[in-house]
Amino acid sequence: MTTHGVDPKLLEILVCPITKGPLDYDRAAQELISRAAGLAFPIRDGIPIMLVDEARELDDSKTKDN
Amino acid sequence: MTIFNRAAVRHHRERAARSFGDFNFLFTECAERLGDRLLDITRTFPTALDLGCHDGAMARFIPPRSAVETLVHCDLSPAMAGLAQANSGCLAMAGDEEFLPIRDQSLDLVVSNLSLHWVNDLPGAMTQIRRALKPDGLFLAAMLGGETLKELRDALTTAEIEREGGLSPRTSPFAEVKDAGNLLSRAGFALPVADTETITVSYADPLKLMADLRGMGETNAHALRRPSFSRRTTLMRACEIYLEKFATGDGRLPATFEIVYLTAWVPHESQQKPLQPGSGQVSLGTLFLGDDAEVS
Repeated sequence: MTTHGVDPKLLEILVCPITKGPLDYDRAAQELISRAAGLAFPIRDGIPIMLVDEARELDDSKTKDN
Repeated sequence: MTIFNRAAVRHHRERAARSFGDFNFLFTECAERLGDRLLDITRTFPTALDLGCHDGAMARFIPPRSAVETLVHCDLSPAMAGLAQANSGCLAMAGDEEFLPIRDQSLDLVVSNLSLHWVNDLPGAMTQIRRALKPDGLFLAAMLGGETLKELRDALTTAEIEREGGLSPRTSPFAEVKDAGNLLSRAGFALPVADTETITVSYADPLKLMADLRGMGETNAHALRRPSFSRRTTLMRACEIYLEKFATGDGRLPATFEIVYLTAWVPHESQQKPLQPGSGQVSLGTLFLGDDAEVS
């Protein structure tokens, strides 16, 4: 379910668990993207899943378009 | 160093989330006790993180005087994070205490209710918590200590040596309270305090205790644990030993839970601290003997 997004308060405090660097919010895909780590963390029912083994690895070609 | 299998910890919590309401008594009790400790603190905490939230019980016990405006639940198990959000209506995320996904200096309070005893790198987790807090931010935690389940551990150990001629790690090695204060200092916290309380739960049957531990998601997640279940005969013998050694007069079986409480602050200039040696302005002679004292 991706009907509701992430609360802005949550976006304010979240960083990448690996690099502690910033995250980009991809509203359409409901993902939080850490470019430094090359990982996209899923958001399920408004709950960011900030676990490395749940994250999708970014492929470089797609990263450049975003 | 890997002591705990974090995937197992997570799996146990995912499983426990399905019927956690039947087994959450210890978490509810400790959440209330943590809430009592917040009641003693006059500071307010606009942004707070509930780290290792389980079903989010903490939300019910944060006192109004703490003035928490934003509470974020966080658990290694996405199912628990979802449960916490459903129960409290607060924000939630899935996150790992060993890889905290929180921006530096973004929180006023980190509260952790019975979760940090499953963390492999406790000093590393504490350092990340300290970094996530603002100056003068508070870290308040309850975790299970070394006396926890001493009766069960004794019974299982004795039975296993008797029946299987050897020993495998079965219950989790817990932190000692005297280590905890040192860890807080090493992680860069000021004014660290660690103290303990004991909660004794009375059981009619050791198997009910084991079922409760499973329901709580607190069963063995030791990295070196045996992959297979214990032999039934060993388990039955452990139950006998538990009864023989620990039954009270009324035939009930005590199960000890030692709760280690940690309180520490991120350093801030407003906090009391010792003066530099040699910075005294009044001599001790003057203090004790009056102004005309001559100290040679």
